[in-house]
Amino acid sequence: MNHKINRVVIVGGGTAGWLSAGVIAAEHCIGSENNNPGDSFQLTLVESPDIATIGVGEGTWPSMRSTLQKMGISETDFFRECSASFKQGTLFKGWRTGADDIYTHPFTAPQSYTEINLAPHWQTAREQINFAQAVSPQSALFADKLAPKQISTPEYAFNVNYGYHLDAAKFAEFLRKHCVEKLGVTHIKANVTAINSAENGDIASIATDSNGNIEGDLFIDCSGSRALLLGDHFGIPLCSKSDILFNNTALAAQIPYTDENDPIESCTLSTAQSAGWIWEIGLPTRRGIGHVYSSDHNTEERASEELLSYIASTVSEQAAAAATLRKVQFSPGHRAKFWHKNCVAIGMSAGFIEPLEASALVLVELSAAMIAEQLPANRGVMDLVAKRFNDKFLYRWDRIIEFLKLHYVLSQRRDTEYWRDNCEPSSIPEQLTDLLALWRHQSPWHRDTNNTDDMFPSASFQYVLYGMDFETLASQTQRRSEQADQQRAGRLFQENAARTQQLQASLPSNRDLINKIHTFGFQKI
Amino acid sequence: MSNYTILNNDVHQNLRVNTSRSAEYGDNIMYTMTFPMEFRDIQSCYPIFFCKDPESGQLYPAALLGFEQDQNLFLSDSGWDATYIPLMVRRHPFLIGFQADPDSGEGATKPVVSIDSDSPRLINDEGTEGEVLFNQDGTPSDFLQTSIGTLESIHRGLEHNKGFIAALLEHELLEPFSLEITLNDGSNNQLMGFYTIAEEKLQSLDGETLAKFNAQGYLQSIYMAIASFARLRPMIDKKNAQLG
Repeated sequence: MNHKINRVVIVGGGTAGWLSAGVIAAEHCIGSENNNPGDSFQLTLVESPDIATIGVGEGTWPSMRSTLQKMGISETDFFRECSASFKQGTLFKGWRTGADDIYTHPFTAPQSYTEINLAPHWQTAREQINFAQAVSPQSALFADKLAPKQISTPEYAFNVNYGYHLDAAKFAEFLRKHCVEKLGVTHIKANVTAINSAENGDIASIATDSNGNIEGDLFIDCSGSRALLLGDHFGIPLCSKSDILFNNTALAAQIPYTDENDPIESCTLSTAQSAGWIWEIGLPTRRGIGHVYSSDHNTEERASEELLSYIASTVSEQAAAAATLRKVQFSPGHRAKFWHKNCVAIGMSAGFIEPLEASALVLVELSAAMIAEQLPANRGVMDLVAKRFNDKFLYRWDRIIEFLKLHYVLSQRRDTEYWRDNCEPSSIPEQLTDLLALWRHQSPWHRDTNNTDDMFPSASFQYVLYGMDFETLASQTQRRSEQADQQRAGRLFQENAARTQQLQASLPSNRDLINKIHTFGFQKI
Repeated sequence: MSNYTILNNDVHQNLRVNTSRSAEYGDNIMYTMTFPMEFRDIQSCYPIFFCKDPESGQLYPAALLGFEQDQNLFLSDSGWDATYIPLMVRRHPFLIGFQADPDSGEGATKPVVSIDSDSPRLINDEGTEGEVLFNQDGTPSDFLQTSIGTLESIHRGLEHNKGFIAALLEHELLEPFSLEITLNDGSNNQLMGFYTIAEEKLQSLDGETLAKFNAQGYLQSIYMAIASFARLRPMIDKKNAQLG
């Protein structure tokens, strides 16, 4: 029970596998010469040469910047090799009424968010200016398709906060190269044929068709939704969340630009449909456009019609006619637990949910970071770390599910059964119902997300609530600080307007900056 | 705005250039690019910092001339008040242009002397003020030959800068730097967006790297840049004197 945890084996080589490998390998010295060969840490990734990666997760959170930086990756190389672009948030269309309504969820928190809650002060001006525009310059910037920084801004630094859009297949390949060449990860191409158990029920080794048995102390299951180790072998069930979030099917297309100099969106576009929503992600080389919907509420035929009509109206008739749609089905939900014995699942093997707030890759980053940081010293303490891991990630999944559901329950749409079902009280998690009742009387702020495991900051709740026209009633009693706060808020609104103008004037277009990264690269300083 | 055309002894035969130094001719610049080969002269007059080209983000060494946009403290009613004028200032109204050079292969270019036809320095009248570009027989004047020499130095300097900057970045020898200057009238001037030699990093360089830097001439340039800091004080004094 007290043998050291020196050999980590990752099964699966998609984005989840290679990202996990990179995060863990960057933290631990692999095969360092100072150690006895038997003592040194080994990280092996086994990848099937026959199974294509599914390539989900083309959008990231801002957290990806520090994840890449910690791995020692040059941001310039990342942009050049992964067809990456800047993402500054999400723009939602048609979610409120199904008409032309628009709201945004930018990555930048409201002005002076740590000191003052601007939401109540905005309420009095809600007819004149939308919330996101009043409190942050970012939504105006991505409406203009601007970049979040300049070519002279050092790599990973910014004028306004950003994450990325990327080509998932290229990203996995880029990470593989970095992991193998720079971080000492061993890459084995083989198919897993069987799983060999130890006496205590742990996985002792995995049998492969071309590389024999691969032994390990800890196995990371990145085999995708099939969950070869945690699901197939250990039988840990999937907890379905389809009673809360109905979407279970996606139709995805890759659409070329009409002209290679067409502007690139610097946010994800999410446009509500009759029984789901359409995403649009701008890469330098192409657009990724897809429809994620509920097969209980929509037929594939109708869903593809909606998608093609979107492509025809936003890109061109020709693009719609030439589009090939790829269908992906998924069961919304997550495993009952993620770490069992000496096996932990990361990525789609742990769970999958519609990409409404791009939560897939961030969960991979967080899972890998926790494993890297708390790598159990020996088998004896592994169960304790496993329990912590499970508690933490079950909590995180719940928070993600609630936050995604929030987007639906605030809608005024009742035009289809899908939207009506989404507002059924029985489909809404209890905690979300409670929070909504509370937010009727006080706007979310730091007290609402005081747990370090919370996935979305309270600012994100503000953007969605007030973007969706939610009304928090004015306070019943007068506060002593009210007048001073009001004056300060007024100044901050003005400052934000000035800063917005200044940034609009000084930031290059998203396309221009990406071209410059390809030509000149970012400086490290 | 600038409007560069290739210099030609036919079209530009009678053109003359005013070489006096004043804001009117665009000399009111806060800083200008410099090159290691002129560091020795530059550091005797101006502080040397590093800054980024806003169009490319690439770093280059610069001589500081003022503390705010359009301010050149070395410019006075009687001209440029310093013993050395930077190459990049002296080049005007000329620039190195590049012309296709099919003889040297497809896509090859060769440097050619270009002139800014919109430069306020150009004189096109019948008078005698300023420097002529071409002699009566169409050969380059002494002034033009000197200017061509300046352009050639700049051309070499740009190449030299690339290697110098790459070496500094590789060894993390540059760091961001901001300077707050309080003048006698109580006003504050903040210099931002500049970079300077990271002296702690420099002091921890190993012998092998130092020997390499020495052989490449970089070591001398690095220490000249550091020594040039001493030129800040006289600039502040100059500014205070102007305030009276």
